[in-house]
Amino acid sequence: MNANVQIRLSHLSRSFQEGEQRHVVLQDLSADFAAGETVALRGRSGSGKSTLLNLISGIDAPDSGRIEIAGLDITAMSERDRTLFRRVHIGFVYQAFNLVPTLTVADNIRLVLELNNVEEAYASQRIDELLAAVGLANRSASYPDVLSGGEQQRVAIARALAHRPRIVLADEPTGNLDDSTAADVLTLLDDLVREQGGTMIVATHSAKVAAFCDRVLELQDGRLIADSGHG
Amino acid sequence: MPVLYKASFGYLLRHPWQLGLALLGICVGVAVIVAVDLANSSSRKAFLLSMNTINGEASHQIVAGPGGVDENLYVRLRVEEGVQDIAPVITGYADVNDQTLQVLGVDLFAERTFRAYTLPAAGSSGARFALHETTFRDFLTKPGAVLMSTAAATSLGLSGGDNFTITTAGKDYPAVLVGTTNAHGSSAAIGSLLVVDIATAQHWFNKVGYLSHIDVRLRADQDTAATIRAALPPGTQLLSAESRTQSITEMSAAFMTNLTAMSLLALLIGTFLIYNSVSFAVLQRRKLIGVLRALGLTRRETFALIVAEGAVLGLVGAALGVVLGVWLGEQLLLLVSQSINDLYFRVTVTDVDVSPWSLLTGLVVGVGATGLAAIVPAIEAAGYRPQLSLARSVLEHRSRRLLPRIAVAGLVAAAAALIILPLSGTSLLAGLTAMFLLILGFALCIPVIVDAASRLSAGFAGRLGGITARLAVRDISASLSRTGVAIVALAVAVSATVGVSVMVDSFRVAVSAWIGNSLRADIYVGVPGGSLDLELVDDIGHLPGVAEISSSRRIWLEMPAGRTRLLVIDRAESGHGGTELLDAEPEATWRAFEEEGAVVVSEPYAYRNDVGQGDTLVLNTREGPQAFNIAATYRSYDANQGTVLMSRRTYQRYWQDDAIDSIGIYLAADASLQTVMDRMRELSQGRQVLYMRSNRDLRDLSLQIFDRTFVITDVLYWLAVGVAIIGILGSMLALQLERAREFAILRAIGMTPWQLGSMVTLQSGLIGLISGLAALPLGLLMAWVLIDVINRRSFGWQMDMSIAPSFLLTALALSTGAALVAGLYPAYRAASARPALAMREE
Repeated sequence: MNANVQIRLSHLSRSFQEGEQRHVVLQDLSADFAAGETVALRGRSGSGKSTLLNLISGIDAPDSGRIEIAGLDITAMSERDRTLFRRVHIGFVYQAFNLVPTLTVADNIRLVLELNNVEEAYASQRIDELLAAVGLANRSASYPDVLSGGEQQRVAIARALAHRPRIVLADEPTGNLDDSTAADVLTLLDDLVREQGGTMIVATHSAKVAAFCDRVLELQDGRLIADSGHG
Repeated sequence: MPVLYKASFGYLLRHPWQLGLALLGICVGVAVIVAVDLANSSSRKAFLLSMNTINGEASHQIVAGPGGVDENLYVRLRVEEGVQDIAPVITGYADVNDQTLQVLGVDLFAERTFRAYTLPAAGSSGARFALHETTFRDFLTKPGAVLMSTAAATSLGLSGGDNFTITTAGKDYPAVLVGTTNAHGSSAAIGSLLVVDIATAQHWFNKVGYLSHIDVRLRADQDTAATIRAALPPGTQLLSAESRTQSITEMSAAFMTNLTAMSLLALLIGTFLIYNSVSFAVLQRRKLIGVLRALGLTRRETFALIVAEGAVLGLVGAALGVVLGVWLGEQLLLLVSQSINDLYFRVTVTDVDVSPWSLLTGLVVGVGATGLAAIVPAIEAAGYRPQLSLARSVLEHRSRRLLPRIAVAGLVAAAAALIILPLSGTSLLAGLTAMFLLILGFALCIPVIVDAASRLSAGFAGRLGGITARLAVRDISASLSRTGVAIVALAVAVSATVGVSVMVDSFRVAVSAWIGNSLRADIYVGVPGGSLDLELVDDIGHLPGVAEISSSRRIWLEMPAGRTRLLVIDRAESGHGGTELLDAEPEATWRAFEEEGAVVVSEPYAYRNDVGQGDTLVLNTREGPQAFNIAATYRSYDANQGTVLMSRRTYQRYWQDDAIDSIGIYLAADASLQTVMDRMRELSQGRQVLYMRSNRDLRDLSLQIFDRTFVITDVLYWLAVGVAIIGILGSMLALQLERAREFAILRAIGMTPWQLGSMVTLQSGLIGLISGLAALPLGLLMAWVLIDVINRRSFGWQMDMSIAPSFLLTALALSTGAALVAGLYPAYRAASARPALAMREE
């Protein structure tokens, strides 16, 4: 593997059984992602973007093919090892935020740090730092349901980056936000990932989002049909 | 608290009603277990304490038949054989000022080794009376001298030197209180004990020349036992004191086991309801669990999280349950001790003995049941793929796919029960295990039936009640992952009420018929705790209006293997047919009974001892062990371990005892019941206070005692119903809250609040109705096991199942009504919720 390649996908396929029929979502997909690179995955609904993110995060496993992250074949790992790998190395931002409603903003971020056995003193410092970075320093004790959509997404970004993951995956991170808030959120996400030197893959329909990225991969019916710079 | 647990528990705290109902379910389930255990163990402990007080340091006792041990044996053992560690004893019950007290007649000079009354600080016996020299002298010289505890004296309103009257076997005797004690620790045991000189006791209990038993203290280094055994006349035995006490307490073992089983049933219902609560809590948090899994929580950590949550719930609920259980135990104690007094032996117990063991059992059982109930939802939660929200359709699809497997598991459990039943002989534990397996097996088959019924009837419901009805019915199947659990929990709870009601009612019908058939005389006469004056009996027989008299005597025969209840009867011609024979022809049986010395055994006796017509049994007569032919088995619902029926003629031949405990009087055709009773009262005036009851009064009294025995079953039954209703409320609330978004969508697309409210109410009612319908066969199955297996193995009784339609209708009404009431608040909530807000909250 090239020293600069962070993620290597080789001949990935994934399909789902739906009643009597088998629905193919990804077909023989191969791609490399370099360390520090920001890549947009574009395609219509059902093109396989979210499935690909799930496979890279280890949330799901491919029917065939390999996924290597920093030289480690995660498809050969057990479900438990994949989970522990995800815990340490992956940060995920979702369109629907998926914050824990029973925890405060600060505790939502602390949850990830606690799962990674980060010391309390450092965790508190990191939470303050991230909340300041996402502009929510004064909302640490608030619960998610009193925040606006943009604010919730900023908390989700802080949570995804809290443990300094190598890879940040974002599935339609601005899909639920208005244009202005979406631009703010995206800029913030991009800045923070670049600051940490991580690799980011963003699944999106949006050309505006893609414009933020170094590279754009175009998916159609589960196949990679284009790989380009700014699209 | 770790943030992970904060996230999980935060959900519970945000739904205080659900949390409260789940805790209440666990709490009541545990409380019932603790209460029954405390009431049982307190009664048993009070009895053992009282026996230990009476027995003192005796390791063995010399006993004989009903007449008692000849007092000359005591003298011979002490003087001729040189056995020193023996003491003569008379025991019995006497009434003082309407209170029944136990009388212990002793020889103070022989007592020092056994009950250290004269030495306040010495000896290890429980009861101690501090005797001053004057008291000692008064005790030995004053006629009717009595010692008692200060508590007993206060309760009777007596103080030192007071004269009072004591009544034994309907006769009054003068007594004087010569001393009291303030003994600590053992005061409960001696609280109802009167100690008198042996000669006084012999006079009071009409045992002059005889002893109840002789206490013996055998020491390991002496071969006294052989010396004693060699000196014993036929019919007299040396038995271990401990085994004698044990055989008495064993009589109530089945009764206590059944109470424990009832309390376990309440816990089983509780466990289903806890399972219901925990699985709802998991289902409702599937998105949260999905997020946690996506953030890196492993399957094992997810499993541990849910089980730990269940364990904490269990611990809090069980701790509250233990506190409630102690209070409930105090209430149940009276009922349990009353039943033991009615059915088995006399026990005086006023305070619950709160043993840490009982409390710990309650805690462990509560936490264990909750942990167990949480395991299945925890496995389910751990199986969630770390996707953000498991689609409901996928969840329902998975539930439906599991249905056949669950049903097969149910069938396996039921088959296991049906295999266990015939193979387990008379084992009560195996019977109870089979019953719980049958409940589980049937419960697991319910969802597949509900699914099919709901899908098949949705169209029909739509034609009858339009879209509201169709949605209400179809949604039961469409939301089976939730409705299924609620229906099973409710059905199990309601089935327990059907099972217990049918069992008790069948029993009552059988006992009522048995009493009606057995009680043939017009008047029954007896005296409490003693025998009738034989001259008085003779005089009664000659009263005008009295056509015939039957007599009976009830005694216990002791053998090293245990005790046998012997009922001696002298049957009146008019009473023939009152004893229903089960396995032999009456004419030949009664001929063998009267003329050939054969006996007839009760059904429980035959069952317990595996004997029947044609077998023989050995009884310890005054002349030593003697074999008797069994001529037949008769139907009986006696609560002891069975009875051997013997003719008076045979009894007198082998025991030389002419005492009579009670008589039945058959009136001449033209005689007046009231006139004969008045004449008997006149006749007995100044001779013996008689207890007289007409046939009807005695039947009523017998059924009253029966009903009293089942009061505790009723209490446990209503507690189980209470647990069930709590569970239904919790299920309905959780079910409808879970669907808030679905309701919001229905509102948003044009369903009116009234339509929505009606739909929710209709669905709640349907869930109750389906649960009730499922509960009926399960309840009847439970009744069958309770009647034919549990009762048979506990008591040896057999009875027909009698199914009153009212019980089945009540169960349906209870189930539907409770579900409807429980659905009212969710219906109101669904109808009044603002759709936009509900959809946003989701």
